[in-house]
Amino acid sequence: MAGAVNYTDTAYPKMLLQIPSPPKKLYFKGNYSEKIFENSLAVVGSRKMSPYGERALEKIFSTLSPEITIVSGFMHGVDAEAHRKALKFGLNTIAVMPCGVDLVHPGDQKNLYEEIVSKGLVISEYDGYFEPKVWTYPRRNRVVAGLSRAVLVIEAALNSGSLITARMAHSFGREVFVVPGSIFSDLNSGKVQISNEFAKTIDSGSYINKYFNLNCTGNMLKENKMDGNEILNYLKSTPMTIDDLKKQFPEKDISQISAEITLLTMNNLVVEREGIFYAG
Amino acid sequence: MLVKVKSIANRGMQTFGVDVEVNISNRGIPGLEIVGLADKSVAESRDRVKTAFQNSGLQFPNKKITINLAPADLNKEGSFYDLPIAAGLICVLLEVPVPENSLFFGELSFDGSLRHTKGSFLLSLYAKENNCNTVFVPSSCAKEAASIGGLSVYGVKNLSSLIDHLLGKKPIQEYNGSVLNDGENIDREVSEYNYVVGQEQAKRALQICAAGGHNLIMIGPPGSGKTMIAKSINSIIPDLSDEESIEVTKIYSLVGKIPPNFGLLKKRPFRSPHHTISYAGMVGGGNNPVPGEITLAHRGVLFMDEFSEFSRQVIESLRQPLENGKITVSRSRFSVEFPSRFILIASSNPCPCGFYGDPNHQCTCTENKIKNYRAKLSGPILDRIDIHINVLPVEKKLLIKDSSLGLDETLDFIKNKVANTRLIQQKRFKDEKIFTNSEIANSQIDKFCSFGEGAKRLLEQAIDAYCLSARAYFKIIRVARTIADLDEKSDIEINHIAEAVQYRSKFFL
Repeated sequence: MAGAVNYTDTAYPKMLLQIPSPPKKLYFKGNYSEKIFENSLAVVGSRKMSPYGERALEKIFSTLSPEITIVSGFMHGVDAEAHRKALKFGLNTIAVMPCGVDLVHPGDQKNLYEEIVSKGLVISEYDGYFEPKVWTYPRRNRVVAGLSRAVLVIEAALNSGSLITARMAHSFGREVFVVPGSIFSDLNSGKVQISNEFAKTIDSGSYINKYFNLNCTGNMLKENKMDGNEILNYLKSTPMTIDDLKKQFPEKDISQISAEITLLTMNNLVVEREGIFYAG
Repeated sequence: MLVKVKSIANRGMQTFGVDVEVNISNRGIPGLEIVGLADKSVAESRDRVKTAFQNSGLQFPNKKITINLAPADLNKEGSFYDLPIAAGLICVLLEVPVPENSLFFGELSFDGSLRHTKGSFLLSLYAKENNCNTVFVPSSCAKEAASIGGLSVYGVKNLSSLIDHLLGKKPIQEYNGSVLNDGENIDREVSEYNYVVGQEQAKRALQICAAGGHNLIMIGPPGSGKTMIAKSINSIIPDLSDEESIEVTKIYSLVGKIPPNFGLLKKRPFRSPHHTISYAGMVGGGNNPVPGEITLAHRGVLFMDEFSEFSRQVIESLRQPLENGKITVSRSRFSVEFPSRFILIASSNPCPCGFYGDPNHQCTCTENKIKNYRAKLSGPILDRIDIHINVLPVEKKLLIKDSSLGLDETLDFIKNKVANTRLIQQKRFKDEKIFTNSEIANSQIDKFCSFGEGAKRLLEQAIDAYCLSARAYFKIIRVARTIADLDEKSDIEINHIAEAVQYRSKFFL
């Protein structure tokens, strides 16, 4: 389904009308309904997502209520991953494009674009195959912030676009959530700054559910019979490589540790990013 | 007056017999002429032979001398025709018969002595196949020529000793020393497996790779020890078998990489070309093609450090050798085939700056840069690499104090384990044309890989859980087969599969 809504139409998203200069016209492709905008959460973050960012998304999204719609900007990195994870966990998702609604930008995410069109919604204030310009990105960020009741910042360096979106959302009177991160990573310094000013730090989707007055029933991680595994218990406190684990368990063979890790990973209790294992 | 002396010519790895026909005529303008498609290095033989004659106290005849290298339509190159030409001249001048069934080979120096000449091993191989029982080679090549066995090898020191031998005054001693070397291989750096601190997973992967002949790729930030790990494979990989040793010695003799007084090579070669290497340097090239790095690594290890920095053409050239164990170099008039069955060990940074995923450093690459960098690695070549591992830097405090960490399995123990695993494979594949588990074809999987209880089911679950391709499925089975062999189990069991899954390909974006 493709089409457009004017800001005078009743179908025009209510939240967007509250901002200082709402788009006159919104072009869309996909499943447009007023309901999709109801519980919208914007997710912003760096184009270069760290393994930590990805895991943070996974953890928080796995505990979000299915009523929530994830709004993001379809860029590489956190944006694209947010759309993907939303589709994975059965959440609604809206991609706000900085270009014409028919143009896939960046072009290598064509599959994702098509999946969002079929299961979610792609919108833009530009028509057709209009190419993105330097000035369309901040305007797109304004729509992302304006559409959403709350913003979740996954990763943001100082002076980054994500931070600008978060501040904009705050100025529109929207709630801003951040996930905590390491003090040694540049991608977290922006988050520290805003959480000292207005943002709320969260480590699970339940805070967001509560803010939206929603109850989460599905998606919860299930208990598993491997829960008592000693490797798993270690990983819960610190992420480790296989070599680190060998040091912790000198009595185990490297082959035995590898085998156990595989079984843990297959049971979704552990995830691996770039050679480091994290308790999921 | 005319005599014929036998020698050889090489084209690629093939050797052809050549008759060196020497004719001295009393009529015509005095001089020496060489005909028979001889290239510059052969033509220059004229001056070397002349001068060597004079410096050996022999009068060079003031007559018209013509030398024909037959067959005349085969290109000849190399400096080794000096000795056959000189021997022919001596036989004519001194009126002695040319020794029967003998091949001559060697480069002359101006002072009449013989220089170390490349290719004497190919000469002996040809001699043996064609029932020539005697070869005359420079004395420093005698060991190399004798190492094939069953030939009378005469190491010629200089022209005077050859004259004495031919006249029967003072025969040259036939070479009867040892043909084995006790020293290291040529051109091979070894870092001891035991000195690699930490990196237990990488070392385990190396064991599997040495035992089963699997290709390996290591991804990790700079300074994590990838190069050292790769080099340490030399200390655990078993020596060449007799058959393999002949194949390798032949290649090294052809390119002149066997030093004086060296015999059969027993250690596996280890080649680590720099990433600026040209296409011809990698696969072999030239008018009369000479082998490149992939052939020099035959039956050994080809280590490609900074894999993604190699030119795309060079990386793509690895396809045929990784598939068939040989490379074909084609020229307009002919094509030659070089053997190239090697273990590929590749290492790469995770991104251009090298720190993507490093817990201690910030990566500064843009996301597009990382994508392009990795795009070079992906595809058909990565598909042919069975074992993928991440290598992260070892903590510095571990380097300083805990050097005993790697010593829980002693080097000899691992060496024996690897050698034993190779034996198991030899038995398994005795009726096949393959040597190692890495060469099992998909159609042979059922024949050679039997599963213990639950192992197959776990594998199927893993395929679903990680969304693995059919190719990955077979790769995991092959690696698991080697792990089971290391364990001396005839069936592949659950823990073997579970470990093998850890080495699957994870390197994509």
